[in-house]
Amino acid sequence: MSKNGNGHKKYAPFFGCLISTKHSQFEAAVRRTMPKLGAELVDLEGFSCCPDPIYYKAADKLDWLTLAARNICIAEEAGLDLLTCCSGCTSTLREANHTLKHDAELRGKVNARLKIIGREFTGTIEVRNIAMIIRDDIGYDAVAASVTRPLENFRVAIHYGCHLLKPGAVMAVEDPAQPEILQRLLAAIGATPVWQTKHLSCCGTACQNEDMKTEIMRDNLAEFAALDVDAVGLICPTCFDQYDLGQLQISRKYQTKYEMPILYYFQMLGLAQGFTPEELGLQRHKVSAKPALAKLGLS
Amino acid sequence: MVKVSFAFKSTIDAMIGGAGHSLCFQCGACVGDCPAAQYSTRFNPRQIMLDAVLGLADRLVTEDSVVWECTNCDNCFDHCPQDVRPVEVILALKNMIHQAGLSPKNVAPLLHSVATTGCTVAVSELINRRRRELGLPELVRPPVDELQKLLGDKKS
Ligand code: SF4
Ligand code: SF4
Repeated sequence: MSKNGNGHKKYAPFFGCLISTKHSQFEAAVRRTMPKLGAELVDLEGFSCCPDPIYYKAADKLDWLTLAARNICIAEEAGLDLLTCCSGCTSTLREANHTLKHDAELRGKVNARLKIIGREFTGTIEVRNIAMIIRDDIGYDAVAASVTRPLENFRVAIHYGCHLLKPGAVMAVEDPAQPEILQRLLAAIGATPVWQTKHLSCCGTACQNEDMKTEIMRDNLAEFAALDVDAVGLICPTCFDQYDLGQLQISRKYQTKYEMPILYYFQMLGLAQGFTPEELGLQRHKVSAKPALAKLGLS
Repeated sequence: MVKVSFAFKSTIDAMIGGAGHSLCFQCGACVGDCPAAQYSTRFNPRQIMLDAVLGLADRLVTEDSVVWECTNCDNCFDHCPQDVRPVEVILALKNMIHQAGLSPKNVAPLLHSVATTGCTVAVSELINRRRRELGLPELVRPPVDELQKLLGDKKS
């Protein structure tokens, strides 16, 4: 939030590689819905990849921290908190911010490198996932108040994914074993959240063993399918790929056909605020969103 | 025959997040909720910590190392009573594997893409067109020279 805020909430959005390229429909959903919650998104120039918390971090943690710190510096220089919309970016930028604020030795090493480009990590801003910002700064009531078309009788299976919540001490969003943030967000738009602790499963994307990855995906999809829901709701583009594209892969490999629409939370919020499915890029998904839209009387 | 490397401990201790392995008392609390352990016949975070403590470099720092089966879910980070942060030790091992030139084939292209474009995804005309259709602002590349200066000679 900007410090000279007088009630007006400003954030620097960090869309990241996946959302800004392959899943720009999610960016559109965030850009359309946030102003209706009284939040202003201020675009800053110069962000790179967060960088990726799986392979970039696996190659060299110091490079990973340094590039993350450079992104954080851009927001520090503007005096704005970072708003992340992808759980991967949340993981990298929140962890890097946390580590560099608390570990003087690493901060020294990273700042020695940042000095070459005339930047310095000073630890003056927060990095928060968009869901956390809504919970803490905006409030569920403001979400409910922005709704013109509640998603009534719309059952949504929640997939939390890993990096909104874990590691608990770094993310500090909720108790990672008993979260409620996504249930509350869905209830605020009139939808019916369907949730079991099993939904805390990992989507499996980061595993390098392709067979394991497919088996994890298959089992999670079977769980969702057994719930008799209209859609699966999530907040991470990586989990999205795993279940959207993943359903096609599973159909080919196991001859089990699923047709479960996978929706990003802000697309659902957008529908509830009266935006059209096209404005939210809902025609772009591999698994058609039409059955879900038909249920909402929108097709 | 299993070979113990005595140099291994000082190497992993010097990696970011690597030193945690020596706090492990082998309780197994990291195993129950580990998706990789559940789906793999050979992955076990407790065993990986033990191998690290014992300095079994030949089992850990190899081209087909089991560590790449980890899904990075962070469950073990939260469950370990000793604050070992097994996932961070595993990532430190991956850093060692990468330094040894043995990381999986998809790693180098990703690093190259970030160092030369700032992004992991190649931006195609289709991507730009879809952004225009949604009324989104044009994608602007970050100053790549800044990234390259930060990465020094590792910008490959
Ligand atoms: S939970 Fe921690 S102490 Fe226990 S076996 Fe796993 S790494 Fe070791
Ligand atoms: S981060 Fe890796 S080792 Fe830890 S619980 Fe998850 S899959 Fe297992």
